[in-house]
Amino acid sequence: MIRQVLLPLLFAFRNLRNGIGGFGIFLASIALGVATLSGISALSRSLTDGLAHEGSLILGGDIALSRMHRPIDDADMRALSDLGQTTTLVSLRAMARTESDAALIDVKAIEPAYPITGAVALVPPMPLSEALSENAGRFGIAVDGTLLARLGITVGQDLAIGQAKFRITSEIADETDRIGGGLTFGPRVLLSRAGLETTGLVTPESLVRYTTRVALKDPETTPDQLAVIADSLTKSLSEKGFEIRTRLNASPQLTRNIERFSEFLAIIGLVALIVGGTGVGNTIHAYIDRRRISFAILKALGAQGRLVFASAFAEVMGLAFLGTCIGLVIGNTLPFLIAFFAASVLPVPLEPKLHADIIAIGAIYGLLLAAAFAIAPLGKSHDIPVTALFRELVTPDHRPTRFIYRLASVVTGAVFIGAILLLAHDLKLAAFMLAGISGALGLLRLVAAAMMSLARRLPHPPGVEPRLALANIHRPGSLTPALVQALGLGVSLLVTIGLVEANLTAQLTRGLPNRAPSFFFVDIPGSGLHAFRAFLADEAPGGTIVTVPMLRGRITALNGIASEQVKASDDAAWVLDGDRGITYASLLPEGSRLVAGQWWDEAYSGPPLVSVEADIAKGLGLRIGDTISVNVLGRTLTAHIANLRAVDWQSLGINFVMVFSPSSFKGAPVAHLATVTLPDKGDPIREAEILAHSAKAFPAITAIRVREALETLSDLIGKLALAIRGASGVTVLATILVLAGALGAGQRNRLRDAVILKTLGATRRRLLLAYAFEFLAIGSIASLFGLVTGTVAAFAIVTFALKSPFVVSPWPVFGVTFFAVASTLVLGLVGTWRILSERPSAYLKSQ
Amino acid sequence: MVKAIEISGLHVTLGRGAGRVHVLNGIDLSIESGEALGLIGPSGSGKSTLLMTMVGLEQAEKGSIRVAGEEITGLDEDRLALFRGRHAGIVFQSFHLIPTMTALENVAVSLELNGRKDAFERARAELEAVGLKDRVTHYPSELSGGEQQRVALARAMAPDPAILFADEPTGNLDEATGREIMDLLFALRAKRKTTLVLVTHDASLAARCDRIIRLRGGRIDA
Repeated sequence: MIRQVLLPLLFAFRNLRNGIGGFGIFLASIALGVATLSGISALSRSLTDGLAHEGSLILGGDIALSRMHRPIDDADMRALSDLGQTTTLVSLRAMARTESDAALIDVKAIEPAYPITGAVALVPPMPLSEALSENAGRFGIAVDGTLLARLGITVGQDLAIGQAKFRITSEIADETDRIGGGLTFGPRVLLSRAGLETTGLVTPESLVRYTTRVALKDPETTPDQLAVIADSLTKSLSEKGFEIRTRLNASPQLTRNIERFSEFLAIIGLVALIVGGTGVGNTIHAYIDRRRISFAILKALGAQGRLVFASAFAEVMGLAFLGTCIGLVIGNTLPFLIAFFAASVLPVPLEPKLHADIIAIGAIYGLLLAAAFAIAPLGKSHDIPVTALFRELVTPDHRPTRFIYRLASVVTGAVFIGAILLLAHDLKLAAFMLAGISGALGLLRLVAAAMMSLARRLPHPPGVEPRLALANIHRPGSLTPALVQALGLGVSLLVTIGLVEANLTAQLTRGLPNRAPSFFFVDIPGSGLHAFRAFLADEAPGGTIVTVPMLRGRITALNGIASEQVKASDDAAWVLDGDRGITYASLLPEGSRLVAGQWWDEAYSGPPLVSVEADIAKGLGLRIGDTISVNVLGRTLTAHIANLRAVDWQSLGINFVMVFSPSSFKGAPVAHLATVTLPDKGDPIREAEILAHSAKAFPAITAIRVREALETLSDLIGKLALAIRGASGVTVLATILVLAGALGAGQRNRLRDAVILKTLGATRRRLLLAYAFEFLAIGSIASLFGLVTGTVAAFAIVTFALKSPFVVSPWPVFGVTFFAVASTLVLGLVGTWRILSERPSAYLKSQ
Repeated sequence: MVKAIEISGLHVTLGRGAGRVHVLNGIDLSIESGEALGLIGPSGSGKSTLLMTMVGLEQAEKGSIRVAGEEITGLDEDRLALFRGRHAGIVFQSFHLIPTMTALENVAVSLELNGRKDAFERARAELEAVGLKDRVTHYPSELSGGEQQRVALARAMAPDPAILFADEPTGNLDEATGREIMDLLFALRAKRKTTLVLVTHDASLAARCDRIIRLRGGRIDA
């Protein structure tokens, strides 16, 4: 028994001792896949760890309580002061004006105690208190550099905000709590609370957020102790409409987004790993081919087939272990490298560390993948006859691989898939992607089989080159299956990603603005609504003006269960995260469609009812008749769900997740929201004029240009797409490795044909032409398949998941396809060049 | 009259460093057109290397080789390939047929490479001449060893080469089949007056040639 285990290991060790020549592609395929997967996981973990550990800097304290419209009252403030140092800041969107121009800004008004954690760096360097202090009747402000560029002004000049004029004293170079605020559409302006008072922007109905931060007295407070404090605050303050965060969850939405995005990237990495797996199979074929004489010798000396297989398996798995280790080193070093070289350009802190679970998962993936793709081809070694020593070329061996090895390969593959599903955060997404990849691989296998069968049946074309190409496509051990699978899968993935990205970008830059309004105006006071409508009618004659009342409210409970306890789906959890815009209406809003329940009567004035967007209701587990409690302006209102609506969000018209019955907020100070859709559509100069005029005439009303907001979004999508392209690039690399591996596997056959043809008078040009025909045919068909499946997948994602009209963009489709065919051709010809240059005598003598 | 092959001062060295072996050490040899020459000698004597060097499959280190009046030492790979296509037919011990081509295509390929428009008609006639009229659509794997060697012979003779080179053509065949193949080979070459260079271990086969050269240690022994 011991001998049966030790002997194969001993043989494997002796072989490995002589070097790992011929296993370069194998090692690279495994290392690349493992490095990608563990790199993505390690990077994501170091980002989320960074967010968690730098939580107090991001949050600006240990605890933060925020709510719209109203500052914290004195009693609550006293309770917070007992915990530690406090500071309250006020944030809102507003318009900053020069004499001739205006821009949307993100205002943060601070107290002298700010910041209680972290720091703000200014250029020129000066204390924050000095930068924001009043001097000669003007308060100072510190602004983001982008605002200076946008308005063409410099430090030292004046800027009007609301009813007051400010002096720009400095530019903000660093603001450690910036990312805690999430995506902003305007540049930051820092000013003092006293300065804010002079603007006249803070009114009961304006959209102002008050955030009180606490830095605990005891800096050694453990996460558990902090959680207890936060729980107690939630119990006592949550009903008052506060959103409570601690440094432990400083930015839950960002953390969730990082996790989901890295899961998505990991799936792309998985495609790379599986594509690389097909390369592993080819390398093993080539390995068996190289070692067949050694195996035959072992058998001639009395080794059983089982022993030969076991020693080959041990050798290959030893190398797989090496490849996995290389991948793990590269992948797990990635966050350290990024932290070292690029920390300053990252918007989020990075905390690189080695994690045992990430290393273990990477190792499991690498080894299982190698085993799944290697066992079946290695099974061939069991039955290599001793006669291979004498006449294998004259009578080639066509025995199929034993059933037991094929079965073992399938079982290992199933375990590999099981591991992926078991370790996935989002099981549904992983299962969906795996089904897609498996389906595509199965289909590609059929395509390859059909292609080979067709090539076998086609009448043999005249001319040596096309005939040789055709023969190469269908002969045993041809490139066709490996290349069709790897290239087809790679092209599918790239076309899918390219088309989805192109559709998203097209919608943001072309499709949406055609239907979308040009402006959103917020903070229109009820008393000034009439005057502002008249102003808009003057400024945009023929334009469509829509106004609705709008308040901000935070969901505090669903069916009486506190929102913190509600288990919401990932798609709906954001609704519970903080304040949401809400409205009331007597008629079903435009852009909405009733999908369940009844709309209330136009004159309804009974107990509060609410209409909820159908997908969100589903994600929150809500049905008609359930209750939603919302804290608006300090008052908690509980409404029954009367109906569910489907909303066309892409119209970018005004719409809300929650629409209440008209009398729900009777007596509350309500601001209005307006949209203006210009008749001439998309004249940026006219838009800028309206923006400047509005800011001048109505300094308290904030205007958001849809064009600029979409550009910000487009920019964000561009950055995400860059990461996706990076991960997809790994698939391209894996495909190249597969091609190289497949070429290596078929090298012996190719060399034989080249030598024979050379002895008969074939020049290298003619052989090259034959190979070019072959690579072009395989590359074109595989790419065509990838193009079709990629387009279908993109269509499905855009139509069903993003619910948008699908547009085929030629660049991703034809660009990727052309690139794939061209690379196949070039790599194939480069790979075979060595064969063409080989002198025939060495080969002829060895046979 | 131009000699079929003229070799003078031929040296061939194989391998590198410590493994460097002088395989041919100063060969001088002249073969008349239409002559049949048998090259015999023990294993490692250099007879196969000499044959391969004559057709440009092996590179000479020193010396001159003129085949059909053309100096072939110093030609690059492609020129050598063209030279073989024009002047040389080769039959190997391991047949070396292309497994993915039928018997007919295997024969036609040498004609097509020579730019012959009637490649397939001619290939069919050649296969008929070697007794394989009914096996034209068969792949090598569907043919016996003897039949594969007949295809290889038909392929070598199809372009009407000036010289036929045969390297142990019966080495992978049983005795009876080997004899049949050699009868065929000698008959075809006699009919077409082709020069023959035959490498063999078999003294009785060599005896069928016009002249026998014995190699030993990379030199002509007799």
